[in-house]
Amino acid sequence: MEDPNDTVQFSQPAATTNGSAQIIKLPLPSTSGESSGLDPGQSQQKPINPSINSSTSGAAGGHIRAHTPLWYALYFPQLDELSEARQQKILNLLAGIAESISSTVSFHPLALICEIRSSLKYFGDINAIHNKLEPLLTNQLQELQLPKYFLYSASPTITGSLLLARSGHNALVYQKENLRSALSLLPIEVLQLHKEQNRRLYNMGVRYLRDIWRLPSDGLRKRFGSDFINQLNKALGKAPEPTQNYLPPPAFITSYDLPYELENLDRLLPVADELLAQLCDFLRRRDLSTSHLQFFLLHEKRNSTVIDMGLRQASRSQEHIMLLLETHFTNLSIPAPVIALKIEIKKFDAFMNHSNSLFPERNSTAHYSNNNLNKFMEQLRAKLGDNHIKSVSIVAEYCPEHASQQLNYEESIQPNQSNAPVVKNIRPFWLLPEPLLLSIRRGKLYHRKALTIINGPERIETYWWSGTDVCRDYYIAKEENGSRLWIYREKQGERNWYLHGFFS
Amino acid sequence: MTIIKNSIETPEPKTDKAFNHIDELLHGNPNLWRGCDMAGQGSHGRSTGFSQLDDILPGRGWPNNGLMEVITPQWGMGELQLLIPLMRSIIEQGKWILWISPPYLLYAPALAQAGISTDQILVVKLDTSCKDALWSMEKALQTENCGLVLAWQNWLPGKVLRRLQLAAETGNTLGVLFKHYDSEHSPSPIRLKIKDSQSQKPNFFNAEISVIKARGNFRPLSTHIDLYQYN
Repeated sequence: MEDPNDTVQFSQPAATTNGSAQIIKLPLPSTSGESSGLDPGQSQQKPINPSINSSTSGAAGGHIRAHTPLWYALYFPQLDELSEARQQKILNLLAGIAESISSTVSFHPLALICEIRSSLKYFGDINAIHNKLEPLLTNQLQELQLPKYFLYSASPTITGSLLLARSGHNALVYQKENLRSALSLLPIEVLQLHKEQNRRLYNMGVRYLRDIWRLPSDGLRKRFGSDFINQLNKALGKAPEPTQNYLPPPAFITSYDLPYELENLDRLLPVADELLAQLCDFLRRRDLSTSHLQFFLLHEKRNSTVIDMGLRQASRSQEHIMLLLETHFTNLSIPAPVIALKIEIKKFDAFMNHSNSLFPERNSTAHYSNNNLNKFMEQLRAKLGDNHIKSVSIVAEYCPEHASQQLNYEESIQPNQSNAPVVKNIRPFWLLPEPLLLSIRRGKLYHRKALTIINGPERIETYWWSGTDVCRDYYIAKEENGSRLWIYREKQGERNWYLHGFFS
Repeated sequence: MTIIKNSIETPEPKTDKAFNHIDELLHGNPNLWRGCDMAGQGSHGRSTGFSQLDDILPGRGWPNNGLMEVITPQWGMGELQLLIPLMRSIIEQGKWILWISPPYLLYAPALAQAGISTDQILVVKLDTSCKDALWSMEKALQTENCGLVLAWQNWLPGKVLRRLQLAAETGNTLGVLFKHYDSEHSPSPIRLKIKDSQSQKPNFFNAEISVIKARGNFRPLSTHIDLYQYN
């Protein structure tokens, strides 16, 4: 089917009978068998009122302005029950899908509106567009565990489409001239006014939009405010309609096919540098930075080698990322020659720069050095792996082996302000991962050499509630060769002696 | 010890005014080393916190950067106690301390008792390969944010040590290597050995520190210090 604005012939049977019908019936939700999901109020409205057709049939104009936009409204009444933030999130998701049929998708309360005039030629006709979109949207709604129906309509104005969709008419109006008569039969509820305004309109005997058309607009403006009039004007295309458009999230994937296979990773560095230059340029243009990116080395007939780079502080510095990549390369062994490189940004962050203020701030150097430190940490992590760098912290525990914990550096970004009480009795710097059983020879304790107890005991009793009772007497002992040991004797069971740490 | 005492007690000749003036000039210049006189070294080092040890170290304290070897026959001889004052001052400067493959678990309550905040401490685990450990040590020494790098590595060839020494000079960082055995030709500027004090009655607190080598010093010296005074 061709653009109906250029040719007045319609392939639609309903349209051809009318010569130049401006309202045609789109496939209704009932055809896909989910009319049961609709509440009865909406399903009874689904047959298009024939009076609309008849009232507009005479007004057909053969010549229609080219490039009138056509707005396709998708209305999701089921989102009404959700919180506003969630609504926005879902609409964002759905807008991503709607982008497959239109380049302009805008957000409205419970609705999305897409411009489809420019897509008509590509898809053929509006039915094709609808058939493409519907399964995608219903799938997504099903995934979100929402009722999988939506209402839709199309007209030359945004507000007009929205009103038609809200009424549940699923109608298509091609020409602006016919919009007034198409809208006139809609009940005033579609305007979604305040309760009080609705009541006043009802008391005035206004039931349908056509009743409003008959009233003088000056009086209406006085009684219902300019927003009300503005909405009606927008619906008729008499007032401009600013919209908030959907902006797809940024994405960056780039790849480079090598002219020949490479096995030496050092030879890849110049290519990688080139790709990183593109990446940093992309980030700079959008004022973004990245904190997670992936680097793929593609091999023939094999899974590609993935280098996962997480940055502690979002960055867009080419040298920094390059340095990290070089560090990764030194550890990497590739299973096969590399035929191509690919970079993908996994996470975008806002770019934060430190201010170049005229007067030096007091902590600006600290910030700078912190930055340096972060770079160093990242390099360490890249080289050694996440689990090899630990930070230590105190835990308020009586049991000696639980009083200290080692966390991965990532997990302890906040300086731990645990005000664990510092024990008075001296503690060793080194703790053995597992206490070591000491032997007794000729009445003397032995580790490597004979031990002499210098200080003690210090009794530690805890964990009686957990089943693994800890009840020990701790002593400080000195070995004959000079080491100072922290040993304990169990107060229960076999009363064995154990070595638990070294004073260093 | 006796040498020190002698050198301190030797009165400077004060008869000649001009000589006195020259002597002052010589004393004032830290770059000038006077072979026989430790007292004349000025104090350009970082105080160790142990006055007896300061006396036998050139510069009256730890060097500001470079590599240092601490030799103990086994762990647990008080080698960390020796560094507590240094670690405290490093933390106060807002710099980090990196512990590279320590032999046992670092115990946080002991750090807290010594007055060392755990927020600026990082540990590279023991199961890290030697190559990676050395790599991180070199990088850490080059980074100005790390004030002190402690590493436990027994056998390092001179070439590696020289490289680490260079890195420490670039980053103005002090690196400390803990070892069991002394190697005579090690290029590190300072080598210390901790020995148990040989007194008969067991004394928990006392240890003998001997300076095997210190750049700027011409003969081995040793002193007895009370290692656990900071607890």
